[in-house]
Amino acid sequence: MSRKLIAVLLLGCVTALIPRSAAQATDIAVVVNSDSRLTNVSLVDLRKIFAGEKRTWPGGIPVKLIIRAPGCRERFVLLKLLGMSESEYKQYWLAQTFRGEAESEPFTAPSFGMTLEAIKIFAGAITLIDARELKPGIKVIKLDGHMPGDPGYALH
Amino acid sequence: MLRVQNIAVVFLLLSGSLWAQSSAPSDAETIALLAQQVKALQKETMELRGRVKTLEEGGVKVQTAPPEAAIAAPAPQPPPPVPDAAATEASPGPTPEVHDLHRIQWRGFGEADYKVLDQRQPELATYGFVPGSQGNFYTADFGLFVTSRLTAKASVLSEIVFEEADAQKYQVDLRRVLLKYDYNDYLKLSFGRYQTNIGYYNWAFRSAAWLQTTADRPLVMEFASNGGLLPTQAIGVSVTGGIPSGTLGLNYVAEYGSSDTVRPDISGDGFVTDENNGNQTNVGFFARPDWLRGLQFGSSYYHDQISNNILNGATGEPVPLLPRSLGPAVRYNQTIVNAYAVYVAHGIEFLNEAFLIRQALVRGSLHFDTPAFYSQFSKQLGPVRPFFRYQYLNANSSIDSIFNDVGLRFGPSFGARYDLDDYIAFKAQMDHTVRRGEPDLNGLQLQVAFTF
Repeated sequence: MSRKLIAVLLLGCVTALIPRSAAQATDIAVVVNSDSRLTNVSLVDLRKIFAGEKRTWPGGIPVKLIIRAPGCRERFVLLKLLGMSESEYKQYWLAQTFRGEAESEPFTAPSFGMTLEAIKIFAGAITLIDARELKPGIKVIKLDGHMPGDPGYALH
Repeated sequence: MLRVQNIAVVFLLLSGSLWAQSSAPSDAETIALLAQQVKALQKETMELRGRVKTLEEGGVKVQTAPPEAAIAAPAPQPPPPVPDAAATEASPGPTPEVHDLHRIQWRGFGEADYKVLDQRQPELATYGFVPGSQGNFYTADFGLFVTSRLTAKASVLSEIVFEEADAQKYQVDLRRVLLKYDYNDYLKLSFGRYQTNIGYYNWAFRSAAWLQTTADRPLVMEFASNGGLLPTQAIGVSVTGGIPSGTLGLNYVAEYGSSDTVRPDISGDGFVTDENNGNQTNVGFFARPDWLRGLQFGSSYYHDQISNNILNGATGEPVPLLPRSLGPAVRYNQTIVNAYAVYVAHGIEFLNEAFLIRQALVRGSLHFDTPAFYSQFSKQLGPVRPFFRYQYLNANSSIDSIFNDVGLRFGPSFGARYDLDDYIAFKAQMDHTVRRGEPDLNGLQLQVAFTF
């Protein structure tokens, strides 16, 4: 009887944990405008791009950052990439603006649909999208040679 | 057996609820996102209604398509316009849409201060502080920061500062006005009035007290118009950019322009020194290595020619020369060498800058060296950031030294910055300054700095 009880308990634990670990493992894809010639970016460069330190693409097209609104998973991963809290992120961009290093805080898209529209329209656009939400026609680039879902993919 | 089954059912229910809790943040994110979208749409609707009302009041008949027309409209639609960067954020606090007016972005910053010094002999008053008072309130700098993008690569930046002067009068200073052209990451050009990139502090904090951790600037980095030693402003061309250097992250800065520094004596004698600077050249390099995020170190070299032209601060008339003084006719070669290393990451701010200012007589051997440094450390602890700063400055007191009013000064400052929210910060700072030939100076400064 006790073995059955233990088995049931273990089953319950496994049932509780499986969906959680699967959610944690979801990768965040790096998405660019479909006309972009970019196919790969390093994690170091990605951080520089989203910190506004790298402001033009190799062809000379200005980088256009599309950032998801606070509360989104992509935003959380972005802040982790930059090593900032939400408050530090706001202060950082205000400081960058005062320094003349940026015109304003990056474009914050309040919805997924608006993110996709922005990516389509701006030639130099780059954003982060939850890999579960990827659709055909979205250009995903490699991160340090890995696509989302590959072993060793760094952004999740 | 029945008991075991009951336990199993209860446990499975419990595990199900646990799973539900683990996925709860995702639901919360979704709800927050939806709430933001609804808020953004409501705001947009209200704005559109307001515009319709305005147009109707102006005699314009606004036509709304009948529902049938909307249903039977198969014509291809142009891609929906993407709202401007500033028009969509729904975060709390001042939202960017209020900062965007016909593609002109604007921001503002200001401060309100209370300062008290135990000075027995009044020194220079700046930012509205009254010398010799037991303590008083003042508003220092109130700035408006305006930018506008002209093309994908060109933009305009301006910084207009209303600075409190004596007797609560305000003077306007166009601190920066720049036409910027960013060709790429390796070549960024700026034309107009700029703040000289001597060292780190000027670049990092500009004029906004809200950006600074401390309530005031280190004396050596103070604006020249407030008694600072460096030529902080110039009109000319500034070129910056990256240098391909792998993980070192090397950048350069080169500036050539005209500055005309008029610096009030900080000893409180009422005189100002009009340096009549010639054209200035400033070149510098700095690195942001990939291997230690937050580290930046660099060096710069500045050169111009200046005079020691002493004027009465109130009348602008030349002050009679002291016996054996060289006077304003002679020129000095001024070179300023700076080196710095800063680390700003993970809530830590560690700033270290050193300067050597040399003013050497043109066609002569007479020269004056002014070494200076400051070191500042702070750490974010929740909303509070305690800080400690130590500064040192040693100017020659000879009558021909342009900085003879400064002399030797050194001492610590400490205090804390408390961020009430993302836009308002309260600071409290204590200073102790040792001065050559003068009693030590102790001060307390309280400040509310804000941006909007």
